[in-house]
Amino acid sequence: MKFSSFTLRDWVYVGVFGALWGVMEMTLGAYLHVLIPPLADTFLIGLIMASLGAVVALVGRYFVPRPGAMLAIGIITAILKTLSLGGMKIGAIVAILAEVVLMELALLKSPTRQRYVLAGALAVSWNFFHKFIMMRLMYGTGITEVYRKMVKEGSELLGLDANYALVIIGLLFLVRIVAGAAAGWLGWDLGRRVARRLART
Amino acid sequence: MTRRNPRLRPGSYLAFLLWAMLLVALLPDRTLWLLLAVIVGFDWLNARSGWRVLTRRRFWLFVLSIVALSPLILGEADVQWGVLRLSRAGLEMGLWMALRAATLMLAFSASLAVLTVSQMIQLFDAMQLRGLGFALGVALNLVAVLEDVVTAAYHTIRLRGGLRRPFHNARLFLITVIANALRYGDDVVKAASARAFDPSASPPQASPILGQADRVFIAGLSTVGLGLLVLM
Repeated sequence: MKFSSFTLRDWVYVGVFGALWGVMEMTLGAYLHVLIPPLADTFLIGLIMASLGAVVALVGRYFVPRPGAMLAIGIITAILKTLSLGGMKIGAIVAILAEVVLMELALLKSPTRQRYVLAGALAVSWNFFHKFIMMRLMYGTGITEVYRKMVKEGSELLGLDANYALVIIGLLFLVRIVAGAAAGWLGWDLGRRVARRLART
Repeated sequence: MTRRNPRLRPGSYLAFLLWAMLLVALLPDRTLWLLLAVIVGFDWLNARSGWRVLTRRRFWLFVLSIVALSPLILGEADVQWGVLRLSRAGLEMGLWMALRAATLMLAFSASLAVLTVSQMIQLFDAMQLRGLGFALGVALNLVAVLEDVVTAAYHTIRLRGGLRRPFHNARLFLITVIANALRYGDDVVKAASARAFDPSASPPQASPILGQADRVFIAGLSTVGLGLLVLM
């Protein structure tokens, strides 16, 4: 990964996609967090924001076809998030950086639709582990407490008995993988369509 | 206006945030007060931006929401209060959680949030990442433009009856916004090329990330951090 190989156009596009993701985080992300406090939700907001973020970053990778592009887009997004108004930013910043690192790993080789799907799935699946890590860092709550809360919410969401804890946790993880894979698919699709619109294919 | 200590360079603020995050993660609840006192003290001597955070309604809304929700969500319910079944252990846990979250938010406000955009760009320059600093500048200028791009795309699609087929038109909306943002990006590329801007070239006077005062400051942070960990 070499930033020195980036051209002027690459850096401008990194800025463009960083701004697109950053604006989404600053508006939609902040709005959702005010609407639903982080303690009351372990599933929905992270899933929505991670999926949308993955779509934008993956489209960005289509236009900046160099290793490190996703990382650069993520850094710009994270900085824009620090500059935005509002309370809770650290969780979102950690999530953004972790997601771009995972997507970067999936796209180390030349991008294909399958690798985009894998990258999206990896990025959104981070959301599952993120809650455990951030709950420990931000609130000091033990992993057991998060696990119990996840099972309780999951059982209500899926209409399953809370005794099937492993099934619920597995399903919640699977939902994230599927959402991430869909985000990867959409990212590839959108990249191609935008390129066609701009007559760059 | 932020009153940043002129002797400390941006690297010190980055180090301070990492130090605070590490200690918030490692320290048990009972010693967290000491860390909070150190952060408040640093902020008072430095930029006092943390104090402004304390005056924001959103900060208190966030902290109080943790305290208010925790007896309902965490722990086993052992108290009946009207129609609500509350947990005393949950409330206690919520208070510690609120303290931990507030400490982290104040640490963030007292460190990275103090830096201006130009100082962040200088930080990238000093790290030989001039392109990243340039991309940050492009992104910041684009934020205002994006609002117009999004509004124009939304109204165009709405006036063409786009809300009747929401999924198809959501994709059309995204394509339009991204394509228009990239067209704006192309204009920036032309303007920068016309000025012979080269993001890979070294900036004329890139100052180092850390100076003498910063090294002393980081050594002090390490000592205080170790002291707090020993008190555990």
